[in-house]
Amino acid sequence: MAREIIARATDVTRRYRLGAEEVWALNGVSMDIYEGEYLSIMGPSGSGKSTFFNMIGALDVPTSGTIEFMGADLFSLPEDKQAWIRCNQIGYIFQTFNLIMVMSALENVTLPMILRDEPQEQADARGKEILEMVGLGHRVHHLPDQLSGGQRQRVAIARSLANSPRVILADEPTGNLDSKIGQEIIDLLKKLQVEQGVTIITATHDSKMLEISDRIAWIRDGKLERIENREDVEIKSGSMH
Amino acid sequence: MKIAEHLEFSTFNFQSSMETIGTQVRLPFKRALAIAVSGIRIRLGRSLVTVSGVVLGIAFLMSNLTGQIVKTALSEEREQSQRVDMMMSLVNAEVGSLEDRTVAVAAFGRVTATDLAFVGRVNSSGPALFRAHGLDRSGLTAVSLQELGKDADLVFVMGDAASASISLQELTAGMASPLVLDTQADREYTGEVGDGIRREPFFGKQAEDMKEEAEVAARTERFRVTWILVISLLVTVVTVANALLMSVTERFREIGTMKCLGALSKFIRRLFLIESALIGMAGSVCGALVGAALTMVIYGAMYGFGKVLLSIHYGQLLLAAVVAVVCGSILSMAAAVYPARVASRMVPADALRSTV
Repeated sequence: MAREIIARATDVTRRYRLGAEEVWALNGVSMDIYEGEYLSIMGPSGSGKSTFFNMIGALDVPTSGTIEFMGADLFSLPEDKQAWIRCNQIGYIFQTFNLIMVMSALENVTLPMILRDEPQEQADARGKEILEMVGLGHRVHHLPDQLSGGQRQRVAIARSLANSPRVILADEPTGNLDSKIGQEIIDLLKKLQVEQGVTIITATHDSKMLEISDRIAWIRDGKLERIENREDVEIKSGSMH
Repeated sequence: MKIAEHLEFSTFNFQSSMETIGTQVRLPFKRALAIAVSGIRIRLGRSLVTVSGVVLGIAFLMSNLTGQIVKTALSEEREQSQRVDMMMSLVNAEVGSLEDRTVAVAAFGRVTATDLAFVGRVNSSGPALFRAHGLDRSGLTAVSLQELGKDADLVFVMGDAASASISLQELTAGMASPLVLDTQADREYTGEVGDGIRREPFFGKQAEDMKEEAEVAARTERFRVTWILVISLLVTVVTVANALLMSVTERFREIGTMKCLGALSKFIRRLFLIESALIGMAGSVCGALVGAALTMVIYGAMYGFGKVLLSIHYGQLLLAAVVAVVCGSILSMAAAVYPARVASRMVPADALRSTV
């Protein structure tokens, strides 16, 4: 069965200016991402994986090259279509959570629904429901800084799921968390992928992530080093023991 | 608890096989207003700091405006009482005390506040009879022009009309020693000037010179006042702009988050403009009240509250308040335009990275 491509990067570069110096964070990365797969992007910090990740998520514009999303050239789409993709098709989970600190857990979770003009009552009801599902039913009106790191990440997860996205982009989602809650998040992402066909793209250092990924993309020095299927990785690690 | 086990996927809609890319809805104004208001509410402490910046700027502007209004009113009052004093001293020099005398006044055209104050002073200095034509004040006996002079010791003529509709002879008919004191030296009367009729202007050449000098002084003063107002407006602009600039730039990260959840640039811009307009209005109203009240208290303490409260023109004060509030609101919005535009145009990744 031919797999649908949800996103395709073609020869993507990204240059930053640090003072007088030019830094190539990405230097010609091409990759297809399939609908419903679990893709992990690996690489040391500074390798450009977060930059690549931001581009897939329509958060950053490449210096050259194109990103296609749902068959359209993402960065030649008008702003309101890009915003629609961010709002309806992609759920973001960040290492630093990126919650709005002055808003309660519920207000953070309902924000994506508000931004697509769902009525407030409906959004509130749905937000409470999702927060309950992630075990924060009793923390609905707490502000992020009244919550633990694990709880904050759950709020972020609840927010990313609010609009039932097709793709979840998780940038080091377990990076700031202890391994227990980290494992929970990995389980959740896997379940979303397996049971609901949600495409999961994570940037990670976490070896536990690799075990459940369908494919692993290695990025080093702004270049795509290699893409491995999990089976290959397992065979390799199997042969080592 | 295990999140994965508790999520009921059936309530989600992940499988919506939307194959075409949609267009993000533009939130209606009411929705944006609600979000902006709740934004101000949840950041109440910070919002109050911003508001107080606006209050400060507008209070400064308003106190300068109020100060000018009070000063003008006080100096007008002082000038008027000086002129009335001059008029009274001429009257006393001509006929002595007015007690138990018969006096008359004829008004042609509009009379000035000074004229009215003079009439009031004459009336209170105890004449037996005070006849008037063309002037309806309590204590004055209204008569026809021809009856004005009968047995009178003195006739006053006032008003801005260049010519009187009567001859001096008719006006002074029945006076033992006809004497007319006129507020205008060059007023024309019908007919000939009769023999034995004395007509004196209230203000001689010297007084007119003084008036001219006063006008020159007033022009200099007006220039100084304009300068102070321009400076105070500039101070207001800087204070308000600074307050709003800060409140926008420290929220870049939040803006990035909102964009990554699907907020349109236009919506971000609108949010900040609404917020700054609300903050501007609230701050300006407070600032105008504080500025006016404080200034009046200060002048009241210096010159007496009764005098200040009675002499100022409340219409001018209201106008100044409206000007200050409109200024404050527009300034606040204008000050937010630039940072809001910068913020709304930021690429989400850059905004998220920002650590302001």
